[in-house]
Amino acid sequence: MTKITENITALICSLLVLITGAIVVLYTSETGFLLHGWLMIFFSAWAVLTVVRRMNRPLEPKSLEYNDEVIKWGVLGCLFWGIIGFTVGDVLAWQLAYPDLNGDLPWTNFGRIRPIHTTAVIFGFAGNALMSTSFYVVQRTSRARLAGGYLGWLVFGGYNLFVLLAVTGYPLGITQGREYAEPEWYADILLLIVWLGYFWIYMRTLARRTEPHIYVANWYYLAFIVVIAMLHIVNNLVVPFGLEYTKSYSLFSGVQDAMTQWWYGHNAAGFFLTAGFLGMVYYFLPKAANRPIYSYRMSIVGFWGITFLYLWVGSHHLHYTALPDWVQILGMTMSVILIVPSWASVFNAILTLNGAWDKVRTDPAIRFMMVAVLFYGLTTFEGSFMAIKPVNSLSHYTDWTIGHVHAGALGWVAFITFGSMYKMVPWIWKRDGVYSIRLEAWHFWLALTGTFIYVGAMWNSGITQSLMWQTYDGEGNFLYSFMDSVDAMHGYYIARAIGGLLYLIGALIGAYNIYMTVQGPRKAPQQSNNLPVAAGE
Amino acid sequence: MIHDEVLVFSKTWGALYLFVVFFAAVIWIYWPSKRKGYDDAAKWPLREDDKPCK
Repeated sequence: MTKITENITALICSLLVLITGAIVVLYTSETGFLLHGWLMIFFSAWAVLTVVRRMNRPLEPKSLEYNDEVIKWGVLGCLFWGIIGFTVGDVLAWQLAYPDLNGDLPWTNFGRIRPIHTTAVIFGFAGNALMSTSFYVVQRTSRARLAGGYLGWLVFGGYNLFVLLAVTGYPLGITQGREYAEPEWYADILLLIVWLGYFWIYMRTLARRTEPHIYVANWYYLAFIVVIAMLHIVNNLVVPFGLEYTKSYSLFSGVQDAMTQWWYGHNAAGFFLTAGFLGMVYYFLPKAANRPIYSYRMSIVGFWGITFLYLWVGSHHLHYTALPDWVQILGMTMSVILIVPSWASVFNAILTLNGAWDKVRTDPAIRFMMVAVLFYGLTTFEGSFMAIKPVNSLSHYTDWTIGHVHAGALGWVAFITFGSMYKMVPWIWKRDGVYSIRLEAWHFWLALTGTFIYVGAMWNSGITQSLMWQTYDGEGNFLYSFMDSVDAMHGYYIARAIGGLLYLIGALIGAYNIYMTVQGPRKAPQQSNNLPVAAGE
Repeated sequence: MIHDEVLVFSKTWGALYLFVVFFAAVIWIYWPSKRKGYDDAAKWPLREDDKPCK
């Protein structure tokens, strides 16, 4: 694309969002939709002004550097949504320990605030982390500048507008009521367009690569992009009540609807929170440790194993429901087999560190990555175990599930993100290193302690709940009422909230550290190391 | 086609399909002549240059 077509495309896209926003504002009678119309107008008006200002500048010569500018904004988005998501999560944890904290208002109710937490951490924090690192990795491993120029900005801006529309809609009651797919139809259409742009940039950059082979990290990132597009489309097949209303109804009903939702839900864990982050592992871990992957071929076998098996496991969310038995057993079996490629990745990453274990001791970023991989191993083992039907009859509907998810989210997803960010930030801003290794270590230990407290508390409360719900007296009556089990949770819920608070403090320290790194001096120009030693005198 | 027929089909041909795909993937990945390419690729992240070729 030439600069001029780039500018015009960017202008047209921004204007389309602007017009959509204006139409919404003119025709809707819903407060929430009105707010979203104005958000679209403000966001796209800012984009239009930026593009117009750039069009007035003289054309710059074609850059011979990697395009890292949009990645920098991705880092900012990741930290911004991360802090919001962790804060809201901890507020919710305190609400559960002390229900009076819910404020007794419809907008501050647990049910409306919880999706703000999940959307901010999954789509805001993890999504921006995946987008920014994938743009970094695809350029370096292809030795090609990011394709599409402006399109990268549109993808980044549009994606964050989607997250903003999502989290501002929940308190007002705008939701599809589908877990992790709450945003309503108009936000879904925006995400779909953005995602196609993301896919296009990724494929075009790969097409410009200078090596015949595509580096394995890109396989994982690409699986994430393609599968999320597929899941997003199918799970959001809805009929809007009317174009001037936010409400929509699913095309599916009954158990088919539930199966579609959990096919989506578990693959969101498998491809958003796993495949993409494995891509991160396969680039940033070897790079940081300065060691090639222990077995490159195993990483490819693992790739096919994970992509083939994950797509079948969603039904383990619907054990002992109206779903046909054979579908439940299929999901259970595939979940158990999934341990093999998952642990292959774990061993591959850990063995990559052989010969670099001293760096685990001295470099907190590598320590973050190593612990992330261990938590990945723990969570995938636990997940396979919990998918077994009799185990699931114990664990399902209890806090054990919450513990499992957070072992994955806090221990794996966020740890690998922080580890990679501490490496990537100095690289893209061309700094010598992170502002403070001590603060980085503080972040690590606070996050690790917080995760252990959180997960430990939830394991205990989950098993307690489950046992209390399944204790009968001699005549087959329940020994405990449901409220007894709620009372028994109080201590664990306080512990969980404290664990979350430690995690949040760690993340705030991390954000400060990254801010100071960016504020710090640039790297001195590189000196050539090729001079003979004697010539220096 | 009734439910039971779909079930039998998926239990037999579905399982066979997954096995064949798995073995094909493993053979393709571990084919001896492809070794060098993979070994080279594994070293790409360790390159120091920070300029694109195009």
